[in-house]
Parts: sequence; C-alpha cells; structure tokens
Amino acid sequence: MIWHIATREIYENLNSLRFGLTLLLLLALMLTNAVTHLREHPKRMQKYHDAITNTRNALTARADNLYTLAQKGPGNFYKTPSPLHFCAEGGEAFIPDVVRGESHSWRRGALKSFWRLHYPSVRPNLANIRPEVTKVDWGFIVGYVLSLTALLFTFDAIAGERESGTLRLMLANAIPRHAVLLGKFLGALISLLIPFTLATLMNLLVISTSRSVQLTAGEWGRLGIIFIIAILYVCLFLALGLLVSARMQRSAVSLVILLLAWVTFVVFMPSTLATIVRGFSSPMSRAEFQERRGQLDTALKEQYREYIRIRNTKRYAVLQEQGAYVTKDAQQHERLNRERLAQEIQQVKEARAIIRISPVALVQHLMETFAGTGFERHLQFLENVQPYARQFREFIIENDGHDAESLHLIGVPTGMSQRKVEPAAMPRFKDTRSLNRDFNTAAVDLLLLVLLFIALMSGAYLAFVRAEI
Amino acid sequence: MLTTLIRRELLDNLMTFRFAAALFIMLLLIVANTAVLIEDYERRLADYNTAVKTHQQKLREKKNYMAGLAEEIKLARPPNPLSIFNVGLDKRLGNSVSAAHDLVPTLWDAFTHGADNPLFNIFTAIDIVFIFEVVLSLMALIFAYDAIAGEHERGTLRLVLTNSIRRGYILLAKYISAMLCLLVPLVMSLLLALILLTTATAVALSTDDFLRIGGIVLASLAYLSVFYLIGMLISAATRRTSTALIVSMFAWGFLVLVYPNVILVATDPPEDPRARRDTAFEQIEQLWTEFDRERLKFLHNDLVPGEEPDLGIHGYGSVGADFNSSRRTLRYYYWISIQYSEVGPRGETLVPHAQNYFRFLVPLMIKTAEQTWHVRDAALKDIYGQQAAVDRMWLNLSPIGMYDAATQAWAGTDWGSIQDFFVAARQWRRALVNYLYDTEVYAAREWFLSDKAEADWSTLPPFSYQRSGIAVNAQRAVPHLFLLVLTNFVLFMAIFLVFVRSEV
Repeated sequence: MIWHIATREIYENLNSLRFGLTLLLLLALMLTNAVTHLREHPKRMQKYHDAITNTRNALTARADNLYTLAQKGPGNFYKTPSPLHFCAEGGEAFIPDVVRGESHSWRRGALKSFWRLHYPSVRPNLANIRPEVTKVDWGFIVGYVLSLTALLFTFDAIAGERESGTLRLMLANAIPRHAVLLGKFLGALISLLIPFTLATLMNLLVISTSRSVQLTAGEWGRLGIIFIIAILYVCLFLALGLLVSARMQRSAVSLVILLLAWVTFVVFMPSTLATIVRGFSSPMSRAEFQERRGQLDTALKEQYREYIRIRNTKRYAVLQEQGAYVTKDAQQHERLNRERLAQEIQQVKEARAIIRISPVALVQHLMETFAGTGFERHLQFLENVQPYARQFREFIIENDGHDAESLHLIGVPTGMSQRKVEPAAMPRFKDTRSLNRDFNTAAVDLLLLVLLFIALMSGAYLAFVRAEI
Repeated sequence: MLTTLIRRELLDNLMTFRFAAALFIMLLLIVANTAVLIEDYERRLADYNTAVKTHQQKLREKKNYMAGLAEEIKLARPPNPLSIFNVGLDKRLGNSVSAAHDLVPTLWDAFTHGADNPLFNIFTAIDIVFIFEVVLSLMALIFAYDAIAGEHERGTLRLVLTNSIRRGYILLAKYISAMLCLLVPLVMSLLLALILLTTATAVALSTDDFLRIGGIVLASLAYLSVFYLIGMLISAATRRTSTALIVSMFAWGFLVLVYPNVILVATDPPEDPRARRDTAFEQIEQLWTEFDRERLKFLHNDLVPGEEPDLGIHGYGSVGADFNSSRRTLRYYYWISIQYSEVGPRGETLVPHAQNYFRFLVPLMIKTAEQTWHVRDAALKDIYGQQAAVDRMWLNLSPIGMYDAATQAWAGTDWGSIQDFFVAARQWRRALVNYLYDTEVYAAREWFLSDKAEADWSTLPPFSYQRSGIAVNAQRAVPHLFLLVLTNFVLFMAIFLVFVRSEV
C-alpha cells in the first residue's frame, strides 16, 4: 500500500516542473564543481609534490652531519591534499597545510638554537581584491540547494491534497495514515534522488575520466559514505516538510514557514552562532605570544648566563650546561607554540560544537571528515606531526649513541657526533588517514543527524495522525 | 481609483500570515546579528587603538631619524563603523602600512594588525546587507507569486476588470501596496539596528553616516523591488499560483544561491598576468640598479676610504643596509638603518663625510622611490585591479551583485574607499618628504647618531585619515544603483506587456 502511494507520487513528480528545474540546477552545479576540481586539483598536487621534494632534498643535504641534522631539524611537514576536495572544501583557504620543523631563531658564538615545531597560520592573501564567493562543493550543493529543493518537494505533500480535497478521498479508503505519510515520504525521496543521483554520477564521470585525478578503492568507499550522508540529510528536510505540511491547512502558509525556518537554520544560524561563541574565549594574541616568548627567553638566558658566554671550551661541565640550554630553549618554545595552537583550536572546536544546532553544519562537518579536508583533517595532520617530531629526536639521540667518539651532549656542536647519517635510515613522515578515526570523529554528528531525522519524522507522524482532514 | 485599489491590496497583504512571519524573522535576524556585529566592530576598534599606540611607542623608542623612518613608521587604518552593514573589503585587506621616504605605500604593502585567531576564519561572517540579500528577496517573491495568478485563479481579476479600470493601474496598485508592506519589516529592522548602533558606545555615527545608511536603504528598496517585480512577472506569465510559486523559488535559488557563487568559477580568466608583472619588475629593477650605480659613483668619488653601509664609522649599535624586493607585489626599495648611540674617536672624523653621503643619498632614494611607484601603480592596477573589475562585471549581471556593489560603495568598504586610505598615506608621505627637505634633517648628525642630539618625533607631520565624503560615496554607488533601477524599469515593462496581452 505504501509503495502504491509512493509510485503515484513519483509519477506525479516526474511530470512536474520542479523535477525538471531541480535536475537542471543540480546538473549545472555538479558540472561546475567537477570542472573546477579538474582545473584546481593538479595545481594543488603539483604544489604539494614540489614542496615535498624540496624538503626531502634539504634533508638529504643536512644528513651529512648528525649535528647539523639535529640542529636544523626534519624540515617542513606538508598535508597531503585530499583527492576528494570537490566534496567538501572545508575552509581550506584558511587552514594551514604546513607545520614547520626547521625554524630556529638565534646564534650565539658556536651555539645555534635547535629546531622546534612551529605552526604557521595562513596569512590572508592581502593582494586579493576580487569579490569573495562561497566555493561550490558537494557540501554547498547538498547543504543549501538540495535542502531547499527537498522543502519544495514536500511543502504541499499533505497541505496541497487537503486543499484540493483529495486527501479526504484517499483516507476514505481503508488506508492507514502512516502508510500515506510514508508513501509520500518515499515518493518525494525517490523523485528527489533521481536528479541528485544523475547529477552526482555525471560529476563523478567527469572527474574519473580525467587522468589527472585518480580515485582509489578507499576513496570510492568514502564517496559512498558521503552519498549516504547526503541522502540522510535530504530525508531530514523531507521530514521537516511533511511535518509542517501536515500541520498547516494551506500549502502556501506551509511553504512560508518552511522557507523562513530554512533561512534561519541553514543560512544564518552557523555564522551567527560561531560569531557569538567567539566572544566566550580569547586565545593568546600575537602581542601576548611575543611577550611570553620574550620572557621565557630572558629567564632562560639569565639562568645559563655564565655558560653561554664561554667559547671554544672543551670542559665537559660547561658543554653539558650549554647543551641543556639549547635543548631547553627549543623545548620551551615548542611548548609555547603548542599552547597557543591549542587555544586557537579550542576556540574553533567550541564554535563547531555549538553550530551543530544547524543541520547544514552537521552535514558539512560530516562531509569534510569523510572527504579528508577541513578542520578535523587538520587536527589529524597535527596528530601525525607531533609523534613524528618525537621519533625524529629519538632517532638523533640513538644515532649519537652509536658514535663512540661523541660526548653525547645534545645541543652543542663539539658534544655531538659529526658523522654522516644514512638518509634512508631516517624515519619518514607519513601523513596517514584512517577511516576508523574518521568514523570516530563523525560519530556524534552522524548520531545527531539520525536523531534529528527520527524526531522530525515522528513529529510528522504525530501531526498527521492527529490532524483533522 | 488608484487609491481604492491600493487600499484594497494593502489590507489584503497586511492581514496575512506571511507578513507577520516575515516581520518576525527579519527582526530576529537583524537584532541578533547586529549585536554580534557591533561586538566584532568593537574588537576591531580596540585592535586599531592598540596598534596606533604600539606604533607610536615603538617610534619613540628609536633615537635617531634613520632607524625610526626605516623601521617604525606604520600607519593604521581604522575600521569602518558602516562595515556592520556591508563588510566588503574592510576586514579582508591590510589595515596597516609602512610609509616612509624610501617606499611609497600602496594597498599591496599593507599588513594586518589584528590579534585574531586565524583559524576562526573558516566560519563565514555575515553582515546586515547579506541578511537583506537573502531574506528581502525571499519575502518579495513570497508576496508576489500570487499577485496576479491568485486573482486569476479565484476569478476576482475578471471581476475587477469588468469595471473600467486600466490594466496598468491594477499593476501599479499591486506594486505600490506590496512595496509599502515590504517596507515595514525593512524599516523596522533597520530602526532596531540603528537603536542598537547608537546605544553602543564604541560606534560613533556622524550625520554623514546616517545619510550613507539612507543610501543603503535606498539600494535595499531598489533590490526589494527587483525581486518583487521578478515574482510578479512569473505570476503574470504562469497564471497558476502553484506553478508561479515553484518557478519563483527556483528563480530565487538560482539568483541568490547559485549564480553569484558559480559565475566567478565558471569564468575564471585563464590568462596569466605573469608577463605583465615580469616586465614591470624588470623596469623597477633597472631604476634601482641605476640608483645603486649613482650611489656607488658618489662613494667612489668621495675620497673617504670607509666602507658601506656606515662608511667605516663603526659605532656602538646596530647597522644594516640591503635591497628588498618582492616580485609578487612588485615591491622594491633600498633599506638602510644605522642606530649608533656612541662613536669612537676615529669614527668621529668620518661623521661629516657620512652626513655628506646622506645629504646625497636620501633625495636620491626619495626620487627613485617615486619613480618606482609610477611604474608599480600602473602595473598593479592592471594585474589585480582588472581581474577584480571583470569579476564585478559578471556579478553585476545579477541583482544581488548590483545591490552588494551599491551598498559597499555607500558604506565605504569597496575597493575605491579602501584605496582612499592609501591615498591619504601617500599624501602623508609627501608631507614627510617635504618636511625632510625643509629641515634637511637627513644631513644632520641625529639622522644616524643619537649621542649628542636625539630625534624629535613630535615635529613630524601628523597623520590623519578621514573617510571620503558622502558625495564620493554617492558617486561610486550611483552606477550600481542606476543598474538596479534600470532592471526595475525593464521588469515593469515586461510585466506590463505580458499582462496587457494576456487573456483573463
């Protein structure tokens, strides 16, 4: 019986104007998305590969001498660009794609400061005076356009039939109300999925026929997950449409309510809430950071003042203190850098937690997570970098230990091994991603989405069951 | 007759649910966002004040002229209070710039003094005009979709037309009354926003600012009217409310959501401005090579054996000189800074020679910097400005683009207004150069030494920046406003033609 109603709905929709317009709109958007991706992605990959090659060459050059390697560090770490960038852009223009592992700041006599992890922030391109627009990724197409069309497919589902009187006719037969509701829901879902699937397939066809972008099996799996999330999100709006449509006597009123709700929750809620949350905490400002760094510097310099000045010494005790100074200096700087980063991340995390009230934020977070872009991906990248930095330092100490001539005083040139290091033996940085972790981070968002859907669907059911015809 | 029609339409519109809902949502969004935006503005103003204070303090710490001018002259751009309405480029572009005799400041030398969390930029920021863009257009279409089709369906249109009323009158009455209704949420929300703005202590609005806000209201009205007319056209053409509604909604989605975001990607200019940049850079490089040659010639002819950059004075303090350049922004200048607090007896004998050298060098630097600017300004305008202009043109094909451009111009956050600040910075630099020429301070001992006398920073010409007058804003807004009004006329004509020729 449900299926019967659904097919009736589908036939009705397939012939309607909104079906044609939706198909047209989605095809145009998806095509733009694919073409843009094919144009941008090779550039991104080229930039990434160039950067990686440069770092590797610099590292090999450094490996001639263990001290130089220990002092200059492992070089920069670059985030691997995701081939699924077209699914969710994730604000990557504002998220750095590099962590610097070779920055150092001073040179005092024979002593040089050691490398520390430094997290550069993205400087906005101040030369860019072009008008700024939202990136057309799947997140945008699904989050904004598809949700709007979902409302347009359901606003009159029940209110419209009520107006034309056919609802009464239908219910005069022995059809249970939940069957009507589910039939309507399935009908709208399928007739919306047809254009969406067609557009998506065309998008993927264009992308996968190009030689410059190659998708692996894992990525196709991720695309599947993203597609399912999109469907879930569409269901949410269909349920909302049915709920309002069931409550209202007139379809026009139902549409007005739906549109206003959509505008509030989808268009405005995320940015307004984010800006409000921003006021709750204030991360270390640049001036404050510089002041703290200066204080730390002075304090440490004061502590080791008598040892720093000594030059050309071979006394073990002095070298030991100098080494301690250099390593402590690098450590405290790295700690400060990390502290500032943690504060910035915390603020963003808070904002992202709050804007989950808006379903569009939920779906965009989910898409970012599975596409491997955006904020969560950045956190994962940072999590990859930090253990590697530790590993690299341990590698230096271990190698130094193998050299019998070395005094094993990390931090001073004369106290360390000067031997050549085999570049192949060095630990390699791997920017790994795992679907497991992605599922873990996505779990809350996914559950919230399902919960919201169930709530709206049962709301629609209750509203319809109790409604007078 | 017209008034009777208008009264009837007004009553029809005002008593509807959609009117109440639109009013409610508009007030809610505007009040919530204005409060947030004011807070944001206050934060930026505080940043600006801190920046000004730090810049001055750092300048005062420099004891001689050369070091101060080379390193610590930074001019800060105050945030625009009207950026609450349309933020435009106000937040995005650099808000501090170094300016001195050795470099003519441009927009491309600017940097930001803000102390914000850079990661937070992943959240999009909105302003009042954005709310209007989305909500007003939607409201206008909701009001318009059944204007003609609805009466047609109910048959009342036929009734009205049996009286001897001209069809144009009916259209006009419908248009006027709907616009009056739509004005209510617009004006009420704006008034609430203004109340919030005037109660906020940090936001100081002048009379001109109120006039500018008036200009924004004018543009909003034209924008609203465009969408109402689009809705009416659809309503007249389709004749059925359900079809009209669906077509209107898709038209809205296309005009507001899709077109502005897709068009720039679709028309991304493939040409690379690299060639233009390279020729300009070579030209600039040549200017500075010439400068270096003259400088070295002077040093060569000068019979003092000392070496650069301090001619062998070797005092106590820091010293440095170098050519700095950036190919991307075509920046090129000669940076020299000497900060000696003490000079030895041997160095003392060389001081007059150094003074002689700087008497020659500084005017040469000023001259070369200005020549560089002429080349640079033209090239940068070609490289960055043209692309932006093409983008603007594409955006201006949609009402949302025209509206955005017009309100940016009124608020003073468009490119032209941001450039005004850099014009002021260049004027100030001109005043500084005149001051240097008048006082010949670059030939004085305290130009690079601070042992006998110190630099007196209080005599420097003060920098002040005033936003351009309302006439300039109006001048910049008029073309876009004109486009909006023109669209209105075209649409009205189209509706008239469709409606007159349609059978009832």
